[in-house]
This record gives sequence, C-alpha cells and structure tokens, in this order.
Amino acid sequence: MNHLAADTAARRANVTVLGRPGGRTVVLVHGFGSGQEMWHRILPAFTGEHRVVLFDQAGAGHSDPAAYDRVRHSSLDGYAGDLLDVCAELDLHDVVLVAHSVGAMVAVRAAVAAPQRFSQLVLLAPSARYVDDPATGYEGGFSREDVEELLDSLDHNYFAWSAAVAPMIMGTPDRPELGEELTHAFRQTNPETARDFARVTFLSDSRDVLARVTTPTLVVQCRADALAPATAVRRVHEGIAGSVLVQLAAIGHCPHVSAPEETAAAVLTHLRNPG
Amino acid sequence: MSTADGAEALFQQAPCGYLTTTDDGTITRANDTFLDWAGYRRGDLLGTSVLRLLPVGDRILFSTHCLPQLLTAGAVSEVVVDVVAADRSRRACLLTATRSPAAGDRAAELRIIVFSIPERRAYEQELVATLHRAEASEAARVRAEEDLRRQALRDALTGLPNRAGLDAELTHRLAGAPAPFGLLFVDLDHFAAVNASLGTAAGDELLGVVAGRLRASVRESATVARLSGDEFVVADQLDAAAAVALAQRVQAALGVPLVVQGLEIVVSASVGVAVTASPEDTAERLLHHAAVAVHRAKAAGRRRVEVHDPACTDVAVDRLRLLGELRRAVAGGELRLHYQPRIGLAAGTMTGVEALVRWQHPERGLLPPAAFIDVAEESGLVRELGAWVLDTAVAQAARWADDPAHRTVEMAVNVSTRQLADPGLVAAVTAVLARHGLDPRLLVLEVTETALVTDPETAAATLHALKALGVGIAVDDFGTGYASLTYLQRFPVDELKIDRSFVMGLGVNDGDDAIVATCVQLAHAMGIRAVAEGVETEGQRLALVGMDCDFVQGYLFARPLTAGALEDWAPVDRTRDERAPVRTAG
Repeated sequence: MNHLAADTAARRANVTVLGRPGGRTVVLVHGFGSGQEMWHRILPAFTGEHRVVLFDQAGAGHSDPAAYDRVRHSSLDGYAGDLLDVCAELDLHDVVLVAHSVGAMVAVRAAVAAPQRFSQLVLLAPSARYVDDPATGYEGGFSREDVEELLDSLDHNYFAWSAAVAPMIMGTPDRPELGEELTHAFRQTNPETARDFARVTFLSDSRDVLARVTTPTLVVQCRADALAPATAVRRVHEGIAGSVLVQLAAIGHCPHVSAPEETAAAVLTHLRNPG
Repeated sequence: MSTADGAEALFQQAPCGYLTTTDDGTITRANDTFLDWAGYRRGDLLGTSVLRLLPVGDRILFSTHCLPQLLTAGAVSEVVVDVVAADRSRRACLLTATRSPAAGDRAAELRIIVFSIPERRAYEQELVATLHRAEASEAARVRAEEDLRRQALRDALTGLPNRAGLDAELTHRLAGAPAPFGLLFVDLDHFAAVNASLGTAAGDELLGVVAGRLRASVRESATVARLSGDEFVVADQLDAAAAVALAQRVQAALGVPLVVQGLEIVVSASVGVAVTASPEDTAERLLHHAAVAVHRAKAAGRRRVEVHDPACTDVAVDRLRLLGELRRAVAGGELRLHYQPRIGLAAGTMTGVEALVRWQHPERGLLPPAAFIDVAEESGLVRELGAWVLDTAVAQAARWADDPAHRTVEMAVNVSTRQLADPGLVAAVTAVLARHGLDPRLLVLEVTETALVTDPETAAATLHALKALGVGIAVDDFGTGYASLTYLQRFPVDELKIDRSFVMGLGVNDGDDAIVATCVQLAHAMGIRAVAEGVETEGQRLALVGMDCDFVQGYLFARPLTAGALEDWAPVDRTRDERAPVRTAG
C-alpha cells in the first residue's frame, strides 16, 4: 500500500476526545477484538468529571490503515509507541490509563517507557502471557496449540469479517440508537490485521515488564474470564509492586461491556481513593 | 394445538438450532434440533456456559468479539464457529444472535441461531487454503524478486556489490549517515599484464584474493564493491585523515605477495580518496572525485594514494572530457591528416611527405597532436587513432601514386609505442597496403627510440617483418632517447630523423651543431639516410648542407598541408623525374 499515513498520531489512531475539558485525563486503551466502541457503555460514568480520550489501536476500528506497519506492529512495544505518540501530541499529563485485555500490556509498556506521563494504571482483565509456561509453572490458560486454533478460527471467519460481505443484521428495535453504527464499527476488523494482532497478543510475554512498573496500578479481575484466567490476573497483580487487585462480580472477559456500572464504580472509587 | 403449543413446536423442531443464554453466556434454553444435531441431552447444557460448546479458538473469538458486540450493538451475524458435539467431534456452523434487553422483571437474553454448514464450511476451508496458498506464492514471488535484485546488484566473481549495488548502497548510506563519508577508489596496477601473461583464470583468482583482502582490511560497517575489471571501491564513515590511513592499510594488505597458479605475484594498487565536503555530495559525485584522484595516482607513477583536491578537478575533468570527445572524434570523422613535404637537400625537391594527424574539434578548431596525443596514449585510444591514420595516409599515397597529375611520393606515418607492441600490426599494414594497392616501398613507418627500448625483442621481430613487406623504417625524434649505435643495429632501420630540438640550435649552439653532425655521420656509417626535422631558417639549411644531411623537413619549405594544398604546392611538372628513392628495398 502506498497511501501516505495521516500526518498526526491523533488522526492515525482515530482519536476521540470527550467529557469535561478541564477534567483529569482518562485514556481508554481497547484490547483484542474491536476498537474504541468497546468503551461505549462505560463512557457516561467518566465523561461528567473527566476528559476522556479514546483511540483505535493500529489495524483496528477506524485507525488509519496506511499507518499499520507489519514490522512496527509485530510487537506490543509498537502499539505502546503509538499510544505514547498520541499522549505526546496531545500533550497529555497526569494521565489515567484504563486498559483492557492485551491493551493492558500495551499500557504497562507505555507506562514503563514514559512513567512521568501517567499517574494511574487501571488494568481490566489483564494477562501478561496467554500461553502456559510449564517451565515456570505459569498458567496463562492456553497451550501453543490453542493459539494455533485461534488463528485457524480467525481464518474461518475471514469472509464473515470482510467488509465485502454484507452483514445480516437482525433488528434490535429496542435499541435503535446503537445498531447500525456500532455494528459497523465492529465490522471494521480487517481479517489480516486481526490475525497479526492475535499473534502478537497471544504469543507475547510481558511478565518481565511488570516489575518495572512504577505507576500506581489497579488490577481488575472478572469471574469466568475465558481469556484471562484468575492465575494470569493474579500474576499481573503480584508482578506490579504495590498494585491493588479488585474482584468484580461480572462474568466474562469484557466487564466494561457486560457490567459497565460495576466496572466504572470500581475504577472511580479507586481513582478517588488510590491505594 | 394452541398458539403457544404451536410456537413451542416451532421452537423445538425448527430447521435450525436455537439457544438462549443470559448476558454472560449461561445457557437457559436449547431446542430439540440443536440437541439432536450436537448429541447432547438438555440437562447437559442448561446452566452451563455457551463457551464450553466451542473449541478454544472460537471461545476466544466469542469472548472477544461476539459477546461484546451483542452487549453493545445487540446483534452478531454469520460468525463461523465449530461446536464441539457430545461425541467430541466438531460440527461447523453459522452462528447468528441477537440480544433482547432486560424488560421489567425479565432478564436480558441472548438468542442464538445455529445453522449446520458442513458443505459451506468445506468450501470456505478450500477458499481459505487457496487464499493462504496465494499469499505463500506471493511471498515466494517477492522473495524470488528480492533474490534476483540482490543478484543483479552483485558481482558474480567476487560476491561484492557491483556498480549498481554500490550506487544503491551508497545512496542509502549517504542519506542516513552523518558527514563525513569517505570513499576509496582502488585500482590494481598492471592487472592487464597478469591477465595477458597468466590467463584470465589466474586474473579471476587474483581478483578473488583482492576482494577478500579488501573485505578483511576494513571495518564490518564498510561497503566494499567491485566496479569493473580491476577497480574496487571501499566506502565508510571516514574523515579525510582516516580515509588516507585506510587507503594505506589497504595498500599494505594488497601488497602482501600471493601465489596464483603456482606463481608468486606482488599486487600493487593506486588509490584515489574522496571525502564528502557537503551534504549535497551525492554518491555519484563522490565516486567521480575518487576516480579523478586515482587517475592522478596512476599518472604520478602508480602504487600511490592521492586525495581528491577540489582545485585539481578541472584539469582532470578536462582530461576525462577530452578523452570522451576524442573517442567520438575518431568514430565521427573529426580527424584530419596534413602532409608535410620532405625535401631532398641536394636537389631541393620533394621526395616524400610525413602524415601528421590533426583534430578538427567542433568548438576549439583545428588541434595539433600535442593537444590530444597524450590522452590517446594513456587510454589506449591511440590504437584506433593509429589505425585510422595508417589507413588514411596509405589511401592518399596510393591515390597520388595512381594519379599521373601528381607526383608519386613516399608516405611517412608515425607508429606509436602501443601500435608497435600490437601483435596485429604487421597483418594490419599488410592488409592496408593490399586494400589500397600501394607499393610497400612508398610507405615509411616512423617509430620512436622509446618504442624500441620498451620491448626490443618484439620491436625487432615486428620491424623485420615489416621490412620484409618492403616497408621502410625510420627512427623518429632521434637523439632524445638512449639508443646507441650498436643498439640501433639490431633493428632494420632505413632512416634516422634528427630531433627538431637539435636542429633548432644549429648555428646558435655549438653543442647542437656537434650532435646533429654526429647523427648524420652515424646514419651514413650505418648506410642509412639522415633526415632533419624542424628546419625553419636558411642558416639551418646551410648548416645541414654542410653536414651532408640527406633530407630536410620544416617551415622553411612548407608547413603541414592538406592533400589539396599540397597538390597546389607541388605541381607535378616541376619534379616529375626527380623523385629519387634513395633507400633500397629489403
């Protein structure tokens, strides 16, 4: 592709700024599987008091496809670099990073690289390594074969996810305000970059990075999380000295989607009374 | 059947599987179609997570994609998943779902439809496999093209980058590197001699060794390339001092004796050094500067390091430009021959002419040989130039000999050192004489003393062969070299041409008088003719008459003239029968 990438980091990452202009800055970092629309349900809890910055990770959502670089984005540090670029360009300081899933490890790497910029880290359903590591007794929840199977599944959905295949949207008459737009956002997933991102996500190992985090951190755990099992989340908590672990009642991997009120409350409580 | 019963029957026996779950995926209902298809009993599924029905890959996708989308947008459609059946086999299906939000005391519900799609899945797998094959073959094509490109940029003999590879690498490095950047142009001295005497296989072996030594004597970061033949380039981030030091290291490394095909050879190299002076310096300019410097190193006696000096550029550039122009001039018919009459001193009549080359330069006008003969000699272009002169002069001599309206004259043609060393000279002269039908006795080839000294054996053999053809041999510029009488006797010489520098001193400098007199005596002692060049005054002529010199040539009689002007100058009737070929054939 020879298209020139957008000239600002904010445009490349499709940055959206919402909320109270003078408020404390909260940057929401989405994970594997979608884009910034993932935060939709939790936004109202933050926008009244905070300035909220949303963006799409490279290759996801409405990020600039020309800015996707298979080499740069073959490691989580590439994504962390994108995040830092956005923060530097918008001149953000005293930032609260709220990050989900693999986005949590992107946030951790950004916070280690530029600790002066961030005042709080909130990690939702994080995992520093998805693949088990029998040598150290670590349980990430997946075997190497599982990851291969995931990549396989991504392939099988290649056609379902390509923009060329028109989705059959069943009516959601009771939620007219969502529907179209959000479904469209979910459909933006590019099969190729989804595959790349899956590989980066599930084959990376950020356990060594945890010990270098100096930013105050809240770790949020869900029940029955298919992606970040309790052992993996606990490892993140134990790896980051002084971090606080909060267990939600919410089930599954996406508490900000399935239980936005509970998730927001846990995060806001922590921000008001850190430690 | 009541409506409720009908609806229930439709739910249970629908042509597709139905599942309902809570927001977190806990199964609340499953229809008969689904249970039959997957082999489960209802009790196995109710209260468990729908994720447990999916293999791990699909479970991740469902967690990360489908559930969030259902909760946020309210629907997902046509997601391809496998369902793990009760017998652990996998059943391909298409999953579409909507979310019914909580209303009143009714909790939110996910309604999932599952279509069995074994055939479609098979097609999809085929398509995906094809897609991957296409990607793989595209990747292979890209790799192959890169390989090809890499090869096109490499010299096959040494494995070093070639000219194109060097250009690419330098352009890249200059763009990224902070100044200064230095470039060494390494030119092996006398490499042609190795090729000529030991064969090209030995030459190739030598080049391989040189390439290895260059690589070994520079830093890992340095670019080492082979431009062509015996020309190599070393480039790296270097200031002038470091570049010269490296040049000396390279010379030392190359100077270590090596054995090629059983023979010990000592290689020497001339090195031209150039360093970037400004950010505007391109790879091409840097290379050019280094080439100019190496040219100077060669000219100054080889085995030297010369650093590019911006002040010297013009001279060297002029030289290179001149060479290019001369090349075009030879091919493009810009050369001319002028003929200077040679006069029999006793009779005062023309007996022959010396053919002298001129260059009708399109901008600079008519140039004498002094303006371009050095460049021609250095470049080897002198061979082509010499061949043209010989052919043109012989053709002219033949025309005059055949033309009753013009007197028949001897044609003297200069033969350069390189021409004399050319094994093809005798055959070329034979062919030219035959082509134009000239009596060999009317051709005199003039060679310099220096040419005789350079390779006496070959010169003697060649001259004897030419002599056998009937061609006359003159030694030109006599007195300026070191040829002794005994030395000269080895060659079948017919004529000594006394150098103009002595002739000019006649009557002015006693020493010159003695030299010219000695030369004339020497010639007569050998039984050959003496010719004085550069006669410009009546006094000189009289002195030469007194010394019994045989022939004279000079402005006193005539400048070099065009063929037409010469015909006007020497009308036939004046001297028709006075031509006296003094020398004897054979």
